[in-house]
Amino acid sequence: MSAHSALLEAGHFGRFEIVLSERRLQVDGQPVPLGSRAFDLLAALVTRRDRVVPKDELIDVVWPGLVVEDNNLQVQISALRKVLGAQAIATVPGRGYQFTIAAVAPGSSVVNANATEAKGPRVHERTGAGALRKSRLLVADDNKVNRLLLCRSLELMGHEVASVDNGRAALQMLRAEHVDMLLLDLEMPEMDGFGLLEQRAADPALLDVPVIVTSSLEGAAQVARCIELGADDYLHKPVNPVLLKARVESSLERKHLRDRQRELLARLAPELREGAATSSGATSARRGEATLLLARLRDVDALASAQPAQETIELLSSWTTLMLDAIESHGGQVHQMTGDGVAAVFGLAAEPSRDGDASWAAVQAAQEMIELVAQFNAERSSLGKAPIAPSIGIASGEVVAGHAGTPRRATYVCVGAAVQRASRLEALAADRAAGAVLIDGATHAALAGRVATDTVPALALPGSAKEVPVHALKARA
Amino acid sequence: MSHTVIDPHTFDELQANAGADFVAELVDTFGDEAPPLLAELRSALAAGAAERFRRAAHSLKSNSSTFGATRLAAMARELELGGLPAGAEPIDALAQEFETTLAALQALARP
Repeated sequence: MSAHSALLEAGHFGRFEIVLSERRLQVDGQPVPLGSRAFDLLAALVTRRDRVVPKDELIDVVWPGLVVEDNNLQVQISALRKVLGAQAIATVPGRGYQFTIAAVAPGSSVVNANATEAKGPRVHERTGAGALRKSRLLVADDNKVNRLLLCRSLELMGHEVASVDNGRAALQMLRAEHVDMLLLDLEMPEMDGFGLLEQRAADPALLDVPVIVTSSLEGAAQVARCIELGADDYLHKPVNPVLLKARVESSLERKHLRDRQRELLARLAPELREGAATSSGATSARRGEATLLLARLRDVDALASAQPAQETIELLSSWTTLMLDAIESHGGQVHQMTGDGVAAVFGLAAEPSRDGDASWAAVQAAQEMIELVAQFNAERSSLGKAPIAPSIGIASGEVVAGHAGTPRRATYVCVGAAVQRASRLEALAADRAAGAVLIDGATHAALAGRVATDTVPALALPGSAKEVPVHALKARA
Repeated sequence: MSHTVIDPHTFDELQANAGADFVAELVDTFGDEAPPLLAELRSALAAGAAERFRRAAHSLKSNSSTFGATRLAAMARELELGGLPAGAEPIDALAQEFETTLAALQALARP
């Protein structure tokens, strides 16, 4: 969030300096590359450093709208500890994590500019395994008795609740703050419920927030009008608590699902976000020099046969999350996901990249993948589980990319000889030592010696007379 | 139609769902909020403002039903749906019923 970066411009913590607005971390004056999720996590911990932050809250902040396993959080915590030292982030068993390094006060002016953020929301200690995501609900009702009772019912369901007593205030709050759902009374001063629904219907950003109308107005016509104006549901007052719980939870579930789908969609095809319609691939089609990266989880069949199905699916989603994190934090775009494999293209962003940028970004992403997997393996090992290993192939060349398919179902595609080459290199890497990264001659040339490599026997490709030179990345120290 | 002052089932449910302490506070809030609504009924009637009158009656009906105050709710509903009355008698009756209801609610809320 933009407000987030504004509230903590810079912070000095011993050897570390964190500049949130530039998303930069420096250790002893040297910039440290940090994945985007790791940076978000660090920012969340630093801004809440006066308290222990529960895992659920961190997951909410770092993976908003996504359901992710605790594993993913642990991996990112490990990554941060590697950079900051193990003592920088304390684990408080059963409660969460806390950033422990004190700020160096003098000079570091605006470390704690926003007191409310530093205090943070009070978080309910959640008991048991039912880690239902806590939602933020808004109640708009001018009648105090109704308002108090509705707030109370929703709080008892475990939600965070804010309330206002007229439609205009509700509208302002919807536009200014994060709200997961609105419970709306119809008869109110300033702006009534119908007025609010009309405004909402005209504002696409507000349509994402589900609205449940609660009213004791009589007659089906009122209900019909609310539904026509886009309300999700209608509850007659006095509200039956059982119905309330059922309707609220169902609407929230749908909302979280939509949020999650939108995020996934954005990850898979960022251009869809800008409304680049799926009607014609021509609008998004692009031809250019790019670097392709294919990462695959080794021996997935052996893993799958040795453990319960549920565990395999959880492992695959953790794996995919880690790969996406590494790809996104280096500007790559995912064009294929197959569960155990992720294919991404670098260098086809809207603005033309400098020569070698795409190769450099792809190789950085690969190195981050190797490191994230190493952290993940450390967590697995502590749970007595076998390590996993990726194999990665990288190749550069001219590709054509864009959205292809029908208006109803389109996918981001990327074709070109380099796509095949990356796939062949990945297969070759799978036969080598764990964590092997193989790159082709074109990528190697673009790196211009910035990364240490070993030469590997050249690769013969079907249908091509020339052999492809192959290099193996040396592990980063 | 005969209505009891408070439907015990509704009131018990409310306490079970929201907590007895909270309901006691909610009864106090009702005690604070209802008199201005009764005053609004009188002022709307004097001004001939039918919509204001309907709204105030609607609020009273809504709150009464929340507590299971069925007789008060039924009287408020008649005013809500019946348009401006010829005189203030129905409002006087409603105000009297409110006093009875509030006393009953307070007794139930803090036994």
